[in-house]
Amino acid sequence: MTARITSQRYAVDDFQEALDLCYRKGWTDGLPVVPPTEAAVRAMLDAAGLEPDAQVAFITNRQVAITAEKVAINAVMAGCLPEYMPVVLAALEGIADPRWGYHGPATSTGSAAVLMIVNGPIAKRLDFNAGDNLFSPGWRANATVGRAVRLVMRNVIGTLPGRLDRGTFGHPGRYTYVMAENEADSPWTPLHVERAGCRPSDSAVTVMAALAPIQFYNQLSSTAAGVLTTLCDTMRYPGQIGQPNYCVVLAGEHMRTIAADGWSKADIRKFIFENTTNTIAHFKRTGRLPGAVKPGDETTTRTLVQSPDDILVVAAGGRAGSFSCFIPGWASRTSSEAVTVVIKERRA
Amino acid sequence: MAGFEILDPTVEPRRQPLTYVPRPDSLRGKRIGLVENTKFNSDKLLVKIGEILKQDYGAAETRMWRKHNAGVPAHAEIIEEAKRTVDVVVAGIGD
Repeated sequence: MTARITSQRYAVDDFQEALDLCYRKGWTDGLPVVPPTEAAVRAMLDAAGLEPDAQVAFITNRQVAITAEKVAINAVMAGCLPEYMPVVLAALEGIADPRWGYHGPATSTGSAAVLMIVNGPIAKRLDFNAGDNLFSPGWRANATVGRAVRLVMRNVIGTLPGRLDRGTFGHPGRYTYVMAENEADSPWTPLHVERAGCRPSDSAVTVMAALAPIQFYNQLSSTAAGVLTTLCDTMRYPGQIGQPNYCVVLAGEHMRTIAADGWSKADIRKFIFENTTNTIAHFKRTGRLPGAVKPGDETTTRTLVQSPDDILVVAAGGRAGSFSCFIPGWASRTSSEAVTVVIKERRA
Repeated sequence: MAGFEILDPTVEPRRQPLTYVPRPDSLRGKRIGLVENTKFNSDKLLVKIGEILKQDYGAAETRMWRKHNAGVPAHAEIIEEAKRTVDVVVAGIGD
């Protein structure tokens, strides 16, 4: 790799001064960052096989080109290992995809975060957590890949909270929101194979504009329909109207119960789709649709999403505990939809 | 520990010249395009603005387009039709 790194350089005396500079410049997410030295940035670029000036993605509405150099700098700051770079790059391609629709989910008062679901062999190789404490701190890959994407959003795309990003609440997933699917224990077809026609040997990341996870509890049912009835009862109320996607994350106990009844992911999606409808009257009474309740509204129903395929079913989470969760998407189908991107492990 | 250098993670926004078309001296007789952004009441707000422009400022007529969603610019068909059929465009949001 020969091309020059052209980013502006700042001389510092020591680590503390580097850290102070990063805070003073507004380059951090509030947590300390790793000072991005040229050697560390070079290692990151080498791992991806990219020249510094290679364009990774283009954010149209911001007219911002995301270059490999800037991704590498932010990935170093986030604490990534160089081998995480291909995952960070794929996630950035995903959020720059017009279907994901960057401007809305990145800046809306509706406060989406970038949920990333990693599939394929890379997840195990890089030790992405797919199991116990799924969304908890403690796994470097989960913690730093999501953080790197958020730092790129902040430092490269200019998505600054309080300025371009006007989230009413934001949510903790904006620090990082990364999981892998538990393909080793799952009886089902992996998400990337179902959604993007990948081979199981491919690795991919799915990005979804997502709100916070909501968990539900069912320790009583020994059938798929029983467990999913509790899910549907919980799931049909919290959302807005017409959200583009929901992600349903089924953890160990529920996964085994549902699989024991022979249900596929398609069966799960169909059941959820059919059992999460609400009446127009309900939406009007609860201030989610305008107008007074009219004759017919009590018997006219609306589905949670447009199609069963808009429900992303993922096997992940702890082996023990009668809990699973669901994650509402952000806004509407025309505003943003989940995008699956194949991870190119080394680029020419 | 010896001193070292760190790299700037940010980018400077690309500066582009932005040229505005000349503003009309008056709206009298002008055709008004209204571009609504799909949010609740966005259309109602713009209809009201259109009425005021006709009644108080003498605009000739109004027509409305709807964007694909609030997070994207007006799409090409809107731009093309607006160029052909109106003199002034009002874009606004309701929320």
